[in-house]
Amino acid sequence: MATPTDSTAAAGAKPFDIVATYNELLRSDPDLTMPIAAIEALVLLLTHEPSSTISETLDLLAKSTAHLKKAIPNPIGLSAGTDLFQRYLITTLQRPGQLGPAGDFKAIRTHLLSNGRLFIRRAKESREKIVAFGRGFIRDGCTVLTNGGSRAVASLLQQAADEEGGPSAVRFKVIYVLSSISKDIEGPSGEPEGMETVRALRAKGVPVSTIPESAVAYALGKADMVIVGAEGVVENGGIVSRMGTYQIGLLAKAIGKPFYVVAESHKFVRLYPLGQYDLPIEQHVVDFKTEEDIAQKSKQQAVDSNADSPVELPLEDSVDFTPPHLISALITDSGVLTPSAVSEELIKIWF
Amino acid sequence: MPSTALALTPGLSSFLKSLKTNPIDTSIENLVSLLKRRQIRHSRSCATATAYLLLRVVSACRTSESTKLIERVQSVGRRLMAAQPREMVVGNIVRRVLGLIRDEAEDDREAEFALSEAGSESQPQTPRAFDDASMPLDRDMLGMRSDGGDRSSRPPLTSMFSLLSHPEPENSLPSTPGSQSPNARLFSHGHTKDVRAEVLEGINEIIDELGQVDDQIAAYALDHIHSNEIILTHTSSTTVQKFLLKAAAKRKFTVIIAESFPNNHEATHATVSGNIVGDDENLSFDSFQKPLIAHGITVILIPDSAVFALMSRVNKVILGTHSVLANGGLVAAAGTRVIARAAKVHQTPVVVVSGVYKLSPVYPFDFDSLIEYGDASKVLPFEDGDLVDKIDVQNPIYDYVPAELVDLYITNLGGHAPSYLYRIVSDHYRKEDISF
Repeated sequence: MATPTDSTAAAGAKPFDIVATYNELLRSDPDLTMPIAAIEALVLLLTHEPSSTISETLDLLAKSTAHLKKAIPNPIGLSAGTDLFQRYLITTLQRPGQLGPAGDFKAIRTHLLSNGRLFIRRAKESREKIVAFGRGFIRDGCTVLTNGGSRAVASLLQQAADEEGGPSAVRFKVIYVLSSISKDIEGPSGEPEGMETVRALRAKGVPVSTIPESAVAYALGKADMVIVGAEGVVENGGIVSRMGTYQIGLLAKAIGKPFYVVAESHKFVRLYPLGQYDLPIEQHVVDFKTEEDIAQKSKQQAVDSNADSPVELPLEDSVDFTPPHLISALITDSGVLTPSAVSEELIKIWF
Repeated sequence: MPSTALALTPGLSSFLKSLKTNPIDTSIENLVSLLKRRQIRHSRSCATATAYLLLRVVSACRTSESTKLIERVQSVGRRLMAAQPREMVVGNIVRRVLGLIRDEAEDDREAEFALSEAGSESQPQTPRAFDDASMPLDRDMLGMRSDGGDRSSRPPLTSMFSLLSHPEPENSLPSTPGSQSPNARLFSHGHTKDVRAEVLEGINEIIDELGQVDDQIAAYALDHIHSNEIILTHTSSTTVQKFLLKAAAKRKFTVIIAESFPNNHEATHATVSGNIVGDDENLSFDSFQKPLIAHGITVILIPDSAVFALMSRVNKVILGTHSVLANGGLVAAAGTRVIARAAKVHQTPVVVVSGVYKLSPVYPFDFDSLIEYGDASKVLPFEDGDLVDKIDVQNPIYDYVPAELVDLYITNLGGHAPSYLYRIVSDHYRKEDISF
């Protein structure tokens, strides 16, 4: 089979490392979302590991997925991708037809392997679909409050700004909440997440105001709606998103402003968190310590600075969970959904 | 003299009468102007007029292709919707008819496919059997279920899998007229007559449904109204009245009606007292109906301002509506939101009765654009002419009520939570028709 990827040549050289592949994929394309990167990594895995039977393939997928999930500090977004891939494989195999049990297992394998690029393209197209559905939300003269570095939100806002000169002129303003925890302080940019979008919007002539997280309650009175992105959309319709989204949701509810979530439907993940501390993530946002603990920790770090410690989500990447009752609607590529519609989409693929 | 005047008044009945004799284009013009002048204004009247007009359009459309039929219905639908964008039922009916045509076209293609692949296992052709069922209620319920069943056995087209799916099946989807392959035309060729006949039958079923919807909703009344309850309602909605009357046949309860001044108070007074004036649109529905008081029900008529004061005694609020939106919110007669809000404060359950035909797939991006403003002289009559210059008088006819103020919707399909309405929307309208 012919694969469009160039990595097949290096296949024989060293064993395939799914974690490295996943990270490399995310790094190489800033527009790639975590679930799609995970699907891509699995596709590449299949090209490297020749497996001819169904159960062999499924077993390989399950093992690699578990490995990948363990190695990545925040596996929520990624597990949406791996689950989708696995379910797709199983459902296609069960369905009567050319790709089903009667047909050739190789056919479905070839389809998956040769269409890796197609999946990425479709994922990016789904963002355009979201923009089409979400266009109606940004009305003339409105002010949008947003946060984080969601690409879906950025493309929605930029698309709305692009049409400014056009026949359907929309003049809107944006309040951008910038995180006080800078993502890469020592990096060359050293600027908070989202600055890129802010610059792009300002270049298009959209007035943007940047505010710190502490000013959200103050600024919300001037906003007409809140639009945020999400890392994962969970079963009950709540979202897992950048730290600070939950408080914006609470404030928006208290002030009575609509709170919209923009997310691609491949981010729907089969997870039912009961609260903030029920996420399958190691993150120490609330970290109690005394003077003594700090001293002990720094001593310990000096001893084993490069020892293998369990993966922990760094503070700047920390996430929180926004429960569904705070969300007015989800703008996805399959339409504008109420939070309760998410479970149905998930049921469709799982049962 | 009054009788001739009545006959000449343009409205639903005169439109339906003229529909048989006038040519199609005149009829379309006629309905457009009736809608524009608000001479047809109740949700049901608009829906009925639209359905009958589309029946004529489809039967007069001598085309062999479903794509042409869809285009024709779309162009007529666009004109009707542009005539009165706030009357959302018009769009709903057009969308349902479009969905019917698409379903039939697809069924045909599948049937053809099954024929060509004789012997191999294929989907049982269930939908046609259901179309023959006489009861629209049954048909709806079963139709829904068969839809669901189809969806799970067929590749789920709109689901999350679309990301990974094989490109080929997607191309053969008849989603857009542009993608109609020559194959499709070939397939539908043999079944042309069948498609139109099926669509006409479907439209007739929609019309039947419009006629029966209130009785179907009323069938749920005994589940929701209990003995000695105090029910609060608003306006003279026929759906609500029938609902209450059904319960009144078996149980004794008290009804409080807010009079809904200034747009509907006369009709409300008439409903309460039972002397309904011969309004030609409501003639068939109301005039033979005995009022609630005749059933021994205590009816209390209150001004709108007394709603909050009485709410603490009320057991249940039952409201009619103008249209229901996809997010679970609703557009109803002005004053509804005040009642719903007061009920929320007192934790009184709010039940909204509405036919499925009022359920619109439109998402309310801009609430203000949904509100229609009426005759300001009803608030401040022109006798106070010197005041009219100095103050700004407004008379909104509708209110937008957000979904969180409603506890339950009762439609002809049963009771639903507001958050479940999206599901009924997706069962009744095709995605490709939502914005056409």
